[in-house]
Amino acid sequence: MRDPRLAPFRVPALAFAAFLVVQAASAAALFALKLGGSPAGVRAFYLGDAARFAAPKSLAGLLEVAVPHLAAIPLVLFAVVHVVSFARALPARAARGLAALSFGAALAGVAASFGVRYLGPALAPVKVAAFGLLELTLLAWAALLGAVFLPARAEEPARADTAAGAAEEIAE
Amino acid sequence: MRWLVQQPAAGSRARPPVALFLVFAALALAGLAAQRLQAGGLSPADVEAFYRGAEGGEPLTAAALWEEVHVGAFVYGFVLFMLAALAAVAPRLEGVRGGLVLAAFAATLADLFAPFAVSARPGLGALRVATTVLASASMWALLVAVAVAQARVGRDARA
Repeated sequence: MRDPRLAPFRVPALAFAAFLVVQAASAAALFALKLGGSPAGVRAFYLGDAARFAAPKSLAGLLEVAVPHLAAIPLVLFAVVHVVSFARALPARAARGLAALSFGAALAGVAASFGVRYLGPALAPVKVAAFGLLELTLLAWAALLGAVFLPARAEEPARADTAAGAAEEIAE
Repeated sequence: MRWLVQQPAAGSRARPPVALFLVFAALALAGLAAQRLQAGGLSPADVEAFYRGAEGGEPLTAAALWEEVHVGAFVYGFVLFMLAALAAVAPRLEGVRGGLVLAAFAATLADLFAPFAVSARPGLGALRVATTVLASASMWALLVAVAVAQARVGRDARA
């Protein structure tokens, strides 16, 4: 851990990382169970499937899923990006890139649901790709939290540098 | 994060929003408890009936179980993260904060996954009742500890 000011937040951050993994895992399970995990399954889920007596999704049904996700996903991403960026676990450009990728995948995933339903079934692979990308970025952020906050064997020798480093960061 | 690590200088500015957050966190925990009462409450038999289906009724699907995990992980995860971060900078919780946070973390995780056990095997309704009580009690204990610590710091600052 580079910054000694972060030490008190080790347990909260690691608990948050664990819940992030649970969220990603439960989202993957739901995607597989409800949407089939493939473009064909996504098409059947949103456009209906006569063989299974499934109706196309209504606008109300799409909004019921989209609205909570439009609030919850950015909130989770904001929190984890904020903590990882504060800890300077990544170079600034890489952190900005990963954040943009995460928010972009989340937005594309929500938009693709409406796209498949109202624009065309050709957008089903976009929904699968956006979901997969969001899952990967969530796991990447959880891993970064782990990298920052898990106790490292080499932490003690590095501790000598931390006071000066922290002073520099405050001065910035 | 800066407010938290720059205590106590910036702490006084953070107190009003923290107090409001604690009110909403309390409401969220109360809402979660009310939801649990609708899903069998503190009766192992009613919990089993809710998940496994009562008297020949349909049991909850795997998707419904995962949906409960998905929503619960967000609520528990976010509230626990905020409360634990506030506890981390509360000066009067040195001796108890680690135990409170770890207990809440373990109990909430167990509570999220207990429905799978209830669905898989008969006779495990009491397990879900126990995890619900433990998760609720540990989260409320953490919330009250943070609220009391914040109130004391505010009182000291005014004195």
